[in-house]
Amino acid sequence: MSPYQFTSVLVAVDGSEGAAKALDCALSICEAVHARLTALAVEGKLPAYAASVGEVDEVKHEKDQFFKRVLEQAEGQARARGVQIETDLIAGHAAEVITHYAKAHGHDLIVVGHRGHFLGDYLLGSTADRVTHHAHCPVIVVR
Amino acid sequence: MEPVQLAAILAAAVLLASMVSVHIGVSVALIELALGVLLGSAFKLDPDQSWLVFIAGFASVVLTFLAGAEVDPDDFRERLWASVGIGVVSFAGPFVVATVIALGPLGWSTKASLIAGTALSTTSLAVVYAVLVETGLNTVRVGKLIMSACFVTDMCTVIALSAIFVKPTVWFPVFLVVSVAVIVLLPKLAPWFFGRYGDRVIEPEIKLVFVVLFVLMVLGEQANSQAVLPAFVLGLVMSRHYQQHREEQRRLRVVAFAFLTPFFFLRGGMNVSLGAVFANLGLLAVLVAAKLVPKLGLVLPLARRYAPGNATFTTLLMSTGLTFGTISALYGLQAHIIDRAQFSLLVTVVVLSAIAPTAIAQRWFTPDLGAEHAGAARGAPKPTGPGTGEPLPAPEAART
Repeated sequence: MSPYQFTSVLVAVDGSEGAAKALDCALSICEAVHARLTALAVEGKLPAYAASVGEVDEVKHEKDQFFKRVLEQAEGQARARGVQIETDLIAGHAAEVITHYAKAHGHDLIVVGHRGHFLGDYLLGSTADRVTHHAHCPVIVVR
Repeated sequence: MEPVQLAAILAAAVLLASMVSVHIGVSVALIELALGVLLGSAFKLDPDQSWLVFIAGFASVVLTFLAGAEVDPDDFRERLWASVGIGVVSFAGPFVVATVIALGPLGWSTKASLIAGTALSTTSLAVVYAVLVETGLNTVRVGKLIMSACFVTDMCTVIALSAIFVKPTVWFPVFLVVSVAVIVLLPKLAPWFFGRYGDRVIEPEIKLVFVVLFVLMVLGEQANSQAVLPAFVLGLVMSRHYQQHREEQRRLRVVAFAFLTPFFFLRGGMNVSLGAVFANLGLLAVLVAAKLVPKLGLVLPLARRYAPGNATFTTLLMSTGLTFGTISALYGLQAHIIDRAQFSLLVTVVVLSAIAPTAIAQRWFTPDLGAEHAGAARGAPKPTGPGTGEPLPAPEAART
């Protein structure tokens, strides 16, 4: 039996164009092999060294709202294509969270977009690069 | 330079700071402070134009009010004595050490030394809050303890700042009576007033708060004192009201962050002389030590007792500082108690203390959230939302 019997796919979504392509690819795979899909959004860092709690609070609130919408859109797309989907939102460093989450929840395939949102991608290498280095399972990077 | 020309340059800086903040994930206040330093040095901008002094002064009182309003009274009550113990020691240690060092070896005047002691004894609830929320630790006991202790230190800071400036005049009793009156009456008046006049684009509820703060500033000035203490306590007594009316608090923040606080931080930066900082690196190191050594030395034993397992993390976060440190130094400069070189050194230490302890705490000492939840499992509600793997809270409950 092939070791690549994908049954549980994790796709990282962040509202970017790359993530939209990754979601589309993940949905196609899940349709083809009847795998279940988890869409994971990773809430990036809050403003470091803030001068008021209000600044942190409001950014957090904005991020919560933004990612809630992103995940709802992913759910809608999955339902429209008949794919079983779960969603989750976790705060932290994207690559670290994605790889830990995939391992902890027994996903056997990770799908990520080639480029996300952040300037850090350009300076430190993309989230996709880091996920491919640290994942316990196959990773598809969608261009 | 004409006021309108300075205003145009600073407005552009405010916009740039916001954009940079969004891209690099660093607080807009720190970037405004840095831009103030750069623009002030590069273009020899005058930080003492009267309109700028006025807006920055009012912004500092609004920031103080907001700081009080952001305290969660329930969290504070939960571990009252531990919070008071850590918070008071976190203030008193650096205050005494920094004051004595400034007064003795550094040869500063008595009042300048007290300003140094106050500026360097602060913590930053906001810096701490970001770290705790990001890791989900704001929902567990150690996070609540740190936030409450930060509040106690902040309270000590505003008391010290008021005490340093006070030279009672005949207006002082009036200032005292009016301060107590608004602190007692505003929380009672607010539900009716906000219900009757609130939720309008003309924002009567924000104007009410501003009127009260201006009255406190006027009377504080007449009484040769400062409005920081009543403003902070007023914010504190209004915190429960704002917890129940998040949208009101949000609109107040929008006004403050869009127009007021940027000028406070820009002006703070414009008053920093990089030349004075680089010419006094030894002095800078002494002042950094005057803040951090007593914080680390005195808070750690208490943290070991009240937050076993997370003592170093707790101690490092109690060593942060930013807003109240900057406010204290700027008040000292404004009152000609300290000069620009002393101000530059104090603000540099304050900014360094916002960055270094936080970075070290996050890199090496962040508690394991899972272990904290397990430890708190006896009767504690399971936290939800980002970082916990549980569903998101409702938007209005996003701040836990």
